[in-house]
Amino acid sequence: MPDTPWPPGIEPVVPVPGYPNTWTHTPARAPFPRAAGATEAAAPTALHHKLPDGEANLAERTKGRPAIGQLMEISGRILDEDGRPVAGAIVELWQANAAGRYAHAIDTSAAPLDPNFEGHGRIRSDADGRYAFFTVKPGAYAVPVQETWWRPPHLHFSVFGPSCLSRLVTQMYFPGDPLNEIDRILQSIPDPAARERMVARMLPPSSVGSVHLGFVHDIVLRGRFATPEG
Amino acid sequence: MLPTSQQTIGPFFPRGFIGPADNDLTRISADATPTTQGEAIILRGTVTRVGGVPCVNAILEMWQADAAGRFNADPSFLGWGRTFTDAEGHYAFRTIIPGGFTDATGARAPHANITVMGAGLMRRVLTTVFFPGSDTAQDPVMAAVPTALRPLLVAEPARREKGVRCFRFDIRLRGENETPFFDL
Repeated sequence: MPDTPWPPGIEPVVPVPGYPNTWTHTPARAPFPRAAGATEAAAPTALHHKLPDGEANLAERTKGRPAIGQLMEISGRILDEDGRPVAGAIVELWQANAAGRYAHAIDTSAAPLDPNFEGHGRIRSDADGRYAFFTVKPGAYAVPVQETWWRPPHLHFSVFGPSCLSRLVTQMYFPGDPLNEIDRILQSIPDPAARERMVARMLPPSSVGSVHLGFVHDIVLRGRFATPEG
Repeated sequence: MLPTSQQTIGPFFPRGFIGPADNDLTRISADATPTTQGEAIILRGTVTRVGGVPCVNAILEMWQADAAGRFNADPSFLGWGRTFTDAEGHYAFRTIIPGGFTDATGARAPHANITVMGAGLMRRVLTTVFFPGSDTAQDPVMAAVPTALRPLLVAEPARREKGVRCFRFDIRLRGENETPFFDL
């Protein structure tokens, strides 16, 4: 986006080499700048009726039937650009199962589905902006394009903040995974510090216990600099 | 703090996130009574990429004012909807003709904002749909677009369905007649 106060390199650079879809889907023309008015600054205040809280436990939707994989809790805070917690943000999470397969008709990979893992949940952040899901660590999977590459384990997040400007769809990665360095989607973010902010932090296993791993990931929504004055 | 980077929504946004009335902006939930204010309409279109190839499972979110040009004022009108494109790239929303209003940016003609996300789109794209017959000459968002491209932002009248007026708004992500998109 031109004329934003953010340093360059935060948003993905497109088209992405080796990912042909980005050549065919990305608009050729630069987006037109416009002033943010009432439409852009507002957002539906009653959205939770249409997008009600769902499941925060993806790993054991039915008691006694856990999903296959490495159990983990992902938790963190939804923040604004001033570091203030965003309460009541709608947080949607979806992901592949431990074998790297999505429970979606479009995913035709040969990896097995797990009947005990659908892989999506929706909650709202609490008064401190906190969210948490209990899930399994997703598997890596190969992207079916000509020059194939392996996507590292990642979680997809969709977050609804207080305005249309703060709507965010992003992905979260795991620390230390060698596939992170060669993932064309993560590496489409030019700024190394911005990429680092998309990688979760692992909690010391000794502090989490023997049942599951713990990861922490904060998400910062834009808004302040994009919102019109007054 | 710096904002978290956008990443593609990818091809696998779960169907389980999209409820039966999510593409109906006239009601706040599937079991709620639709608003009685304004003329209900249907907006349909196709999302395509280079060469006119349909985009499957593209996710669209639409947001607009109520019939009086207000946001979050009519308690039975949500003004927000979400849907996905089918195997032919088709989408549909049920909504009302929004009212125009004046804000800090100027006199806004009746319009709805649509965001599109999908595989191959590393960031979401944003566009605005206007309706035929309304005066967009003073609209500051329309004015941000070169004259020759402005018709691409106006929905076309289509055949009525069960007495309800229908409009068509095709979204071309890239290529011939590429839809004008905005930076926020």
